[in-house]
Amino acid sequence: MFPWSPEFAWDAYHVVFFGALYSVLATVAGSLALAAWRARRDARDGRAPAIAWHGAFEELPVSARACRHQLTGEAPGRACENGFDCRHCPEHERLEGLRRAQAAGQPEHFGFDLPLDRLYHRGHTWVRPEPDGAVTVGLDDFARRLVGTPEGVELPEPGTRLETNGPAGHLTARGNEVRVLSPVDGTVVETRGDGAAFTLRVDPGGVADLRHLLSGDEARAWALRELERLQRALGPAEVGAALADGGELVADVGSALPRDRYDALLGDMLLEP
Amino acid sequence: MDERLVPRGLVRAPLSRFLLWLVPWAALLGVGLYAAYLCLAVGLNQTNMDNRFAFGLWIYLDLTVIALGAGAFFTGFLLYVMKKRELAAVINSAVVIGFICYSGAVAILAIDVGQPLRFWFTFWHPNVHSMLTEVTFCLTCYLTILAIEYLPLVLKNRQLKKRPSMLLFEFELHKVMAVFALVGTVLSFFHQGSLGGLYGVLQGRPFAFRESLAAWPSTFFLFILSAAAVGPSFVLATTWVVSKVSGRPLVKPEVFDLLARVSGSLLVVYVLAKTVDTLVWINHTSFQLGVHPARFYDFAPFGTWALFAEIVLLGLVPALLLVLPRTRRDPRILVPAAFLACAGVATNRFVMTVQTLALPTLAFDPFLSYTPSWQEVASFLAVLAYGVILYSLSFRYLNLFPQERELAAASEV
Repeated sequence: MFPWSPEFAWDAYHVVFFGALYSVLATVAGSLALAAWRARRDARDGRAPAIAWHGAFEELPVSARACRHQLTGEAPGRACENGFDCRHCPEHERLEGLRRAQAAGQPEHFGFDLPLDRLYHRGHTWVRPEPDGAVTVGLDDFARRLVGTPEGVELPEPGTRLETNGPAGHLTARGNEVRVLSPVDGTVVETRGDGAAFTLRVDPGGVADLRHLLSGDEARAWALRELERLQRALGPAEVGAALADGGELVADVGSALPRDRYDALLGDMLLEP
Repeated sequence: MDERLVPRGLVRAPLSRFLLWLVPWAALLGVGLYAAYLCLAVGLNQTNMDNRFAFGLWIYLDLTVIALGAGAFFTGFLLYVMKKRELAAVINSAVVIGFICYSGAVAILAIDVGQPLRFWFTFWHPNVHSMLTEVTFCLTCYLTILAIEYLPLVLKNRQLKKRPSMLLFEFELHKVMAVFALVGTVLSFFHQGSLGGLYGVLQGRPFAFRESLAAWPSTFFLFILSAAAVGPSFVLATTWVVSKVSGRPLVKPEVFDLLARVSGSLLVVYVLAKTVDTLVWINHTSFQLGVHPARFYDFAPFGTWALFAEIVLLGLVPALLLVLPRTRRDPRILVPAAFLACAGVATNRFVMTVQTLALPTLAFDPFLSYTPSWQEVASFLAVLAYGVILYSLSFRYLNLFPQERELAAASEV
């Protein structure tokens, strides 16, 4: 019934009942319309990758969100709140100032290759700045052993714009899909390599800001933490990481796991819960 | 086969076992739908209700599920408005339960009222002096809101969220969820109240009639309070049941503790208010209406035991068990206490609906008895089956309990 309907009377009952009803309907419709309009605006502004990462990051367990300064001891117990993007972290500079040189005796062997001539992203991709200003991006050895020989590799076409923490490709390993996080902002110039050994040559469009990436001792500390997470995820029930654990990570971790566990492991380690 | 639809990292039963689990519920739903068809096609003569016993199993079911479904609005209110972040662990499940309860209630009402093609009459030709009109408006609006609150859960399904449009809409919808939580709370408060007020204004039924506080009878406030009090208990109880059935830990003990604390505190207030209301009714209201209160309990099976069971056994006892930290922290007491609280609100709605109509109001009136027909029972059970099916599907394909993965991983270490 509308105010102009013949049955409508301008008395308190009709005004209160219908005033409340239409207020509620207007609020509900308005909120829905606002959400739809904002979603459209986000799509137009290309915010989908950032929002997808925001959602994924929120779902990560605390153990996977350790702050880089927790790994190196400046901020014990601190979890990251900035989606692993230290460039926007108000605490990063201060904590960086507290960093002390790591004592000698840092492990050199992790059971997988961790060349220190490059920088690492928490999603297991690496970045190597090239002399011409471009950067090369690839999947680290840890992730390559996780995915083994993927049956599907989708890489961004040359000319595609990459955003830090946005997708830089998709892999299908033993029927499980997982996306690869981009460690940098820039435009893909060239793709090379086969399978998980792919590399992307990326033009950052100026001097690449790589402050959010890990190198040297930080990368080592992170690699140790990742091994610990992997051991926890792979370990038999009620045991977890044990003193006897060690050796080299097999070349195809998925071959030793049932499918549902492998799927969860890929999501855990490549930050796509 | 359906692994790609199951949220990553959650362990679910094989599809064949899941389908087998659904079969009996689907059969029950099928029988219920047939019964509903009979009621709608042939008429209400398919039921054992009549002009004197016009409210039966269906209205009792409606009032009960609406009260229990209050867990959805109240959990949303506590999370989004009162910022009780711990409840993010159960809000998804609470929304699904609320949606099931309210959609089930609306479906049963549609059968009870009949003529479903004329559903719009209530909006176009409303009796604006009727509390039922307010109930209808609030129920439909709140069900719409629950559907909107359910939508982001569905859009977060593993496959759907791969579509950028779904992902973005879900993200933006989540940002305005506080508005829906707040509107839902207001609506839920009012229709719970109006359902209670509906009995409180029955001057010709001294058993139900209550004196007014401001413009509303006391039952208006008691229904709101009891629904808010048992809502968290129902969320707790259902979470426990799902955890047992699935064999997975779903939420941390702190979440149960908070739900129990909120439920227990509100139950204490409710039991106090209900006791005062009952004393006023026994000592004042019923005499004013010319009935000695003892007469209400002369007719078997509704003796004073019903009053005792409702207020003490299923009210005060669970309230104390839930509110006292020592008993609340013992799972062997916590869960039965939550079930007792839910049984308490169900008993209250039964008393208000069935006992009110069964008792004679005039000297020459007989005590009426009523047994629901199989069509009524089958429709009732169909709502249960519908709820189990929808919840099972939601549990399998949506991430209802965000702490589940973390807890499962911890239990394996």
